[in-house]
Amino acid sequence: MNKKIPNFIFTNQFGLLCLVLIFIVIFSTVTDGFTSRFNIFALSRVIAIDIMIGLAMMVVILTGGLNLALGAIGVCAAMFGGWCMEVLEIPIIPSILLMLGMGSFLGWINGFITVKTGVHSFIVTLATMSIYFGFMTMLTEAEAFRRLPELFTDFGSAKLFNKYISPLLLVSVATCFVLFYVFRFTDIGRKLIAAGANPEAAELSGISVNRMFIYCHVLSGFLGALAAILLTTRIGAAIPSMAGQLGMDWLLPAFLAPVIGGTLLSGGKLSVFGTMLGAVLVTLLTNGLYLLDVGEFWIRFFLGIILLMAVLLDRTREYFTLRKVIVS
Amino acid sequence: MATLFKKDWFGLLIVVVVSGLAIAAVKPAFLSSFNLYVLMVSTSYMLIIALAQMIIIAIGQMNLSVGAIGGLVAISFSGLMEVHQISVPVAVLISLVIGMTCGFLNGYITAKSGISAFIITLATLYIFKGINLGITEAEPFYNIPETVKNFGNAKLGNTPIPFLIVIPIIITFLMWVFMNRTETGRHMLAYGNSVQSAELIGISSSKVVITAHVISGFLAATAGILVVCRLQLGTPNIGDSWLLPSFAAPVIGGAILAGGKVDVIATALGVLIVVIISQALVIFKIDPFFVQIFLGVMILLAVLVNRYREYKQEALRKIFNSE
Repeated sequence: MNKKIPNFIFTNQFGLLCLVLIFIVIFSTVTDGFTSRFNIFALSRVIAIDIMIGLAMMVVILTGGLNLALGAIGVCAAMFGGWCMEVLEIPIIPSILLMLGMGSFLGWINGFITVKTGVHSFIVTLATMSIYFGFMTMLTEAEAFRRLPELFTDFGSAKLFNKYISPLLLVSVATCFVLFYVFRFTDIGRKLIAAGANPEAAELSGISVNRMFIYCHVLSGFLGALAAILLTTRIGAAIPSMAGQLGMDWLLPAFLAPVIGGTLLSGGKLSVFGTMLGAVLVTLLTNGLYLLDVGEFWIRFFLGIILLMAVLLDRTREYFTLRKVIVS
Repeated sequence: MATLFKKDWFGLLIVVVVSGLAIAAVKPAFLSSFNLYVLMVSTSYMLIIALAQMIIIAIGQMNLSVGAIGGLVAISFSGLMEVHQISVPVAVLISLVIGMTCGFLNGYITAKSGISAFIITLATLYIFKGINLGITEAEPFYNIPETVKNFGNAKLGNTPIPFLIVIPIIITFLMWVFMNRTETGRHMLAYGNSVQSAELIGISSSKVVITAHVISGFLAATAGILVVCRLQLGTPNIGDSWLLPSFAAPVIGGAILAGGKVDVIATALGVLIVVIISQALVIFKIDPFFVQIFLGVMILLAVLVNRYREYKQEALRKIFNSE
C-alpha cells in the first residue's frame, strides 16, 4: 500500500484529477451558477456522452490507427434506431440491441477493409465516413425521427441523487469499469494491447493481429453506437445533423479525451480512466468558458488550444517519466 | 510515345477522356459551353486544394487544417476589403501572408515537437476555425469590391474558359517544376520516403517539414481567395467541405500516404476525374447526397488499385531478383 501511493502521484491520472479539482474550484468561485443543481445535471449529461465518444476513439488509437468515421457511425446507429422505434415500432430493448449491432457492423467494415488492404485506417475511415453519412442522408432524406417512445426519452431526462446526476453518466462510468476490467484482467484485452504495442512480436507469439485490429474497430463502432444512444435519449430525437457535417463534430472530443488522458497515438498504450478524466476536464472547461461569457464562437478556438497544450505537455512529460504501467 | 505509356498518370488520362466522351455521348449537354464553364470553375479551386494537401502527403504527413486555413483567409480577405477599406492587391498580399503564417505554425510545431501532424493540424483546425467564427460571429461579408467580383466572373475572350483557371494552371506548372526540378522538392520526396535516410544524407528535417507546411498554407490561402472571387462574398463556412476532396484527388492520382510518392500531373487528373464525375451525377439528376458516397467509394477504389499495382511490382521485382 505504501509503495502504491507515490506511484499514483506521478501518474497522468493524478495530474488530471488535480486539474479537474482546480478548475472546479476556480469556476465555482468566479462564475455564478456553476455549482447550481441545473448546471451540474446538464454537465453530467454532456460528460456522459463525451466519455463514451472518447472511449470509442481510444480503442482504435490502441491499434495505432484512428476512426474518422466515428461520428458517421454514431449518426447512422441513431437514425437506424429512430427508424426501428418510430416506423417499425420495435420495442425499446431490441431496438437498442439493433443499434449496437449496426454500430458494430459499420465498425467491422472499417476494420475489415483496413486489415485486408493494409491501407492506413485514416484513409479507409475517411472514405467510409463519407459513404456511411451519404447513405444515411439518402435513406432518411435528412428527416429526423422525433416521435420516439416516451420511456426511451425519459431516460435521458431522468435525474438521480437528489436531482444532481443524470443516469447517462452512470452508463458511461459503468462502461469505463467494464473496459478497464477487460483490458487489464482478461486474456482478450491483453491480446488487443499486445497487438497494438508491437504487431510483429504479437504475431510471432501466436496472436492473430488482424483479428485483434478488427475487434478494436468493432468495439469502436459499438461504443460509438452507445454514445449515439445516449445522445438520442438526451435530445429526445434522432436527428441527421446531431454530429454535424459528416459527423465531424465528434472528432475533437473524440481525440481530446484519450490524448489528454495519456493514450499513446502510436498505439499499444491506453488509459481508460485517463480518457474518462480527460472528457470530464474538457467538458468542465467548455462549460466554464460558456459561463464566463467567452462567447460560443471562441469556444472552438480554446478547445483547439487545449488540445495543442495537452499534446505538448504530454511530450514534455515523456522526458521525465518512464511509462511502466501499460493499462491504468 | 512508349515512355508515355509507362507514366503513372497515363491510365488516369484515359479514364478522364473515356469518361468525358461517354458522358457526352449520352448527354450532349455535358459539352455545352455553360457546363464546360462550370466544370472549369470547380476544377480551378479544387486543383489548388488538392495540391495543398499533396505537398503534405509528399512528406508523409497530413494536413487536416487546409480547409480551416482557406476559410480563415477567405474571411480575412473579404473582411480587410469591406471593413478596413484596404485596396485589393494589399488585401491579397496580407491574406497570403496569413495563410503562410498558419502553415508555418503547423510546420513549426510539428517539426519541433515531433508529434504527429495529424493531431497538430486537428488542433490548429479548431484554432483557425475558432478565430474565423470569433471574428465573423458566423456572419458573411457581402460587400466585395467590383474588381474582385469582375475577376471572378471574367472569361478569356469569347471562350467559355473562366479567367479564374489561369492562376491554378500557373500554380500547377510551378508545383511540377518545384517537385521535379528543384533541390528542396526532391528533398521533400526523399524525406517522405524515409525520414532516417534523408537525415543521414544531411537533409534538415525541420526545414523540409516547415517549408512544405508553409507552401500548403500558401496554396490553401490562394484557394480561399479564389473561392471568394467566385462566390462574390466571404462566408465563414468556406473550407468546411474541403477535407474529403483534398485527399481524394492525390490518392486517386496514386499518391502513397506513407509519403515519398506524389505526382503533380496525376493529382491534377485526379481532380479532373472527381469534378467530371460529380458534374455527371448532377447532369443525370442523381441525388446530390450520392456524390458523397461516390467520393468515398472512389477513394477506396483508388487505394485498392494502388495496392494491387504495388503488389504486382513487388512480385515482378522478386522474380527478377531470384533469377
